[in-house]
Amino acid sequence: MPPTDTLSLPAADTAMANPVAGIDQSSGNFSYPQNYEFDAGTGLSENTVRYISEVKKEAPWILEFRLNALKKFLAMPMPTHWATKDLENINFDKIRYYLSQGQKPKRTWDEVPDDIKKTFERLGIPEQERKFLSGVEAQFDSEAAYSNIKDLVAKQGVIFANSTEALREHPEIFRKFFGKVIPTGDNKFSALNSAVFSGGSFIYVPKGVKVAQPLQAYFRINAENFGQFERTLIIADEGSEVVYMEGCTAPKFSTSTLHSAVVELVALKGAKIQYITVQNWANNVFNLVTKRGVAHEEAEIKWIDCNIGSRLTMKYPGVVLKGRKARGEVLSIALANDGQHQDTGAKMIHAADETTSNIVAKSISVGQGRSTYRGIVHIPRHLKGCRNNTECDALLINTNSRTDTYPAITVRGDRNATQHEASVSKVNEEMIFYMQSRGLTEGQAMSLAVNGFINDLARQFPMEYSVELKRLIDLEMEGSVG
Amino acid sequence: MSCLEIQNLHISIGDKPIVKGFTLTIASGEVHAVMGPNGTGKSTLAKAIAGHPDYTITSGDVLLDGRSVLAMEADERARAGLFLAFQYPSDIPGVSIANFLRAAVQARLGEGEDLDATAYYKRLYAKMDLLKIDRKFTSRSVNDGFSGGEKKRCEILQMAMLEPRFALMDETDSGLDIDALRIVADGVNAQRGGANSPGILLITHYQRLLDHIVPDHVHVMWDSRIVKSGDKSLALELEAKGYDWVKKEFAAA
Amino acid sequence: MSDIATITAAPIGSFTAEVFAAHLASLGDAPAWWLERKRAAYATFASLPLPTRTNEGWRFSNLSGLQLAGFKVERVDPNGQLLASPFGPAQLNFINNTTVGDGAGARAELAARGVLVTTLSAALQSHPDLIREHFMAQPQKLGSEKFAALHAAFVSDGAFIYVPRGVEVPAPIVITHAASGSGTAVFPHTLVIAEENSKATVVDHFVSVSDIPHSALRTPQFACGANDLYAGHGAQLTYLAAQNWSRDTLSFQFNSTVVRRDARVQSLNLHLGGRQARHESHSQLQAPGAFSEMLALTVADGEQEFDQRTLQIHQAPNTKSDLLYKNALRDRTRTIFSGLIVVDSDAQKTDAYQSNRNLMLSDDAEASSLPGLEIQANDVRCTHGATSSRLDPGQEFYLQSRGIPKAAADELLTFGFFEEVLSRLASEPLHDALHQLIKTKFKQ
Repeated sequence: MPPTDTLSLPAADTAMANPVAGIDQSSGNFSYPQNYEFDAGTGLSENTVRYISEVKKEAPWILEFRLNALKKFLAMPMPTHWATKDLENINFDKIRYYLSQGQKPKRTWDEVPDDIKKTFERLGIPEQERKFLSGVEAQFDSEAAYSNIKDLVAKQGVIFANSTEALREHPEIFRKFFGKVIPTGDNKFSALNSAVFSGGSFIYVPKGVKVAQPLQAYFRINAENFGQFERTLIIADEGSEVVYMEGCTAPKFSTSTLHSAVVELVALKGAKIQYITVQNWANNVFNLVTKRGVAHEEAEIKWIDCNIGSRLTMKYPGVVLKGRKARGEVLSIALANDGQHQDTGAKMIHAADETTSNIVAKSISVGQGRSTYRGIVHIPRHLKGCRNNTECDALLINTNSRTDTYPAITVRGDRNATQHEASVSKVNEEMIFYMQSRGLTEGQAMSLAVNGFINDLARQFPMEYSVELKRLIDLEMEGSVG
Repeated sequence: MSCLEIQNLHISIGDKPIVKGFTLTIASGEVHAVMGPNGTGKSTLAKAIAGHPDYTITSGDVLLDGRSVLAMEADERARAGLFLAFQYPSDIPGVSIANFLRAAVQARLGEGEDLDATAYYKRLYAKMDLLKIDRKFTSRSVNDGFSGGEKKRCEILQMAMLEPRFALMDETDSGLDIDALRIVADGVNAQRGGANSPGILLITHYQRLLDHIVPDHVHVMWDSRIVKSGDKSLALELEAKGYDWVKKEFAAA
Repeated sequence: MSDIATITAAPIGSFTAEVFAAHLASLGDAPAWWLERKRAAYATFASLPLPTRTNEGWRFSNLSGLQLAGFKVERVDPNGQLLASPFGPAQLNFINNTTVGDGAGARAELAARGVLVTTLSAALQSHPDLIREHFMAQPQKLGSEKFAALHAAFVSDGAFIYVPRGVEVPAPIVITHAASGSGTAVFPHTLVIAEENSKATVVDHFVSVSDIPHSALRTPQFACGANDLYAGHGAQLTYLAAQNWSRDTLSFQFNSTVVRRDARVQSLNLHLGGRQARHESHSQLQAPGAFSEMLALTVADGEQEFDQRTLQIHQAPNTKSDLLYKNALRDRTRTIFSGLIVVDSDAQKTDAYQSNRNLMLSDDAEASSLPGLEIQANDVRCTHGATSSRLDPGQEFYLQSRGIPKAAADELLTFGFFEEVLSRLASEPLHDALHQLIKTKFKQ
């Protein structure tokens, strides 16, 4: 398929001309000139999709998949009959749907370009975590820019690749599971992602293999109005175990930008997948993500999801409990500050006997911040021995902080049990006073109280993530009192 | 004169064998204490004999006056004369003690036979007074919000009202302070000695209950069966030497 | 084309403009403002579409059951075929939207103390201002704007109860609303105004009239009722509604409760009848010290669907609401509970609770719970819980181990489940009457 007139492959000089104007330099000295080799321009049309597929040298079935998704995206209405009207502020014509450095993923730290290293530096990733970066699939804008853990885990037969690479090199496994957990038309944004996806990870863990260290990926947005549409697919074959960690940080920009990922997990019989996210997009990002896993017999999928950044996050990680005795869990922390809406939650779809699910969601609303929990628990006909437990706790810091809770639980039959509890409270004044009487400032006391509120969840995070989380909360709580 | 025969009983939970060959015969009026360390299957034994659906009797038999009870549902066994005093009695919110006991007494009457309410309450109050249970308790929900001592007294009250032929008392002393223990023991002792004196299987971990409800026979249970039997002095010996003594003595066997 | 689109978008079923005109003509000397209001309501009804799948207020509802055709609005006098109320003699009786019988003696006694228990049609003449102020004066927020408008358009009579300042009415005021005949549509209404520091208990009993035993009663009927409860400063109002329509009835019931400073309203809705019954309850806590206790019990069997939507709005600081909705599901039934606690930004010190408990007594029953919170003030105590489970096997074994057969044990436990709601009633006779009414359904 030749490129169209309007979207020709860019020459180096047009790439150089890509604007990075409008960056709010005052809110973080994070940005610097970019050197994008490929650019799909702004706006979304069939041509954009054909262009992306062409650049990626994709097989025809993928292009067809993308075009079909585009149709669905265009046909589906915004879900504003239940979701926030803020979605209407997304201007799809101003989004940049594809951007690449045109580089192959790197294998070693030395091969990573200096400017990317500089980005990590500016983001203040501590030394301790840089060590972890040696095992990282780091995505720089749309393409993976760094990876070397790949070789290490390859010795166990594990495939760890970016999704573009995997589509080329492992089409047989990829195609078997791709788009099966989250159908293209699941929602408007999964359709969008299916049309323009780029980057993200593909992991296949063979039977019985337990991957010793967490696999990591860092994502960031680094161009104004540039949306990222990663597509991640993780398959844990029978009896295998894998932990995947995804962290996002982003520079601050002055206008809205869009992030819409799709993450699919497949845990085959007896497998365990743990997927950990710390989301800290800049406050102008719409973060509309679809994450779902299928757990087969006696398999376990656990989502640990922490949302601190973004303007609006809509994300409800789910587990389809497809095999007998499968287990699903979502542990969620959300922090909404001024101008933020964390609309998060969980979905547990029970589809086999003796499946169990657990949801623990804690949110903190600061200033005018708004946190929303939405949940679906579904136990359909004639199953037995299924159980769900859901706990939602909201902490409101300031007088006008806001929280909402909208669970929906459907149970059929007399052999299953569900339990849902939610509470809303503020920080205990006695506790703050007690800490102040020991010499802490009100802000420090508040930070401690908030960290205490999420402590039982934060403990389940890997050490370096919970340290980072605590630091992020301290930062967010600055200025929330007084 | 009645007789409860437990014959070479094997009990499993799911696929896991818990009791592996327990044999004991109890006659009316006798008190047998079964002692043993935690996890040896004492509570399993009591619940399985009472007909708890989670326990499977894989072999052996339980005969009440020569008739096997194993094919009976829990309620049939109870009406046949078995009574289980629970270690952890269930809370039943919304069901008052009066209604609950009425239903239990009514269930023992023949078809079309109605309970004499006046006589029932008279008897209930007499038993409550004996067990020092406030009469206001009749309108409270069964075990709901009861203290440990109140729950155990409520168990003994039910035993007194239902007049079983055999009572299986599962760790009745657990969670009781000394005063509550004495009241409970007095309640049990009051049911002993008469013509309708029940046979009692007293399951306990500690000797102290046996100071108050003096047993005729003491059996030591270890590794899910009886390894030693004797009179009440065996309980004292066990108290003095501890369960390690039993382990050492029978581990080889 | 456009005509067809209009009809499918806003079906009016049997409630056509001609039927409405005939209804207006039957009202005799009703005031002009009232007729005008009804015309506006009818226009609203006719213009609104039926709920669709994307309507959040109807999530999980059986929309195909909302058939408005096949009914007739009748005001026939079935010769005073009065039913004995399980709640004692009724002060007001309605059959097919028409007052019948004679509760005048009891009413006169109350009237001597300034308590008005009369029909809505009479009150339209004697107390139009109170009706203007309180009759369906609150916004419909729970999804049934169309059906509430239908009620307002076709309501022809109902109960009007006014308790003046400081007056306490010790005995419950009982109203029976009956529907008689196949295909009958009824629009029962009860308006209660409890003025400052007054105290009263009002019981609405909804029932289908028939000589046929209840189990065999397959009379399709349409019931679209509403009640307005107003509790002024310091008033204490207890409201009980026992819904026992025929098993083929499509039933709607809309409640609006307004609670003023230091007032307390306790409402208990018992749902037994109907093929598909939707109940919407909206409590507004408008001033400090206001307390609304919202209770409901549902016993579902056969193929019944009970759809309950509630709203607790805290509009002022230091207000309290406490909701407990319990459903027992047998056979192939469905229940939906969707509740929302809203705390406005200036309603600090709110204490709000919401609990939905579903007892699953059948493997074919289905319960949905949507307990929601929208909180915009931080110094609050708000919790909610929802559970669905069968009878506790441990409790069953405990009862059986005392010799109680399983069926009897299960019934004891099921009534134990109801008791948590019933025991909230201070009145023992009312408690016992409800208990008996539930028992009749279990005996069927």
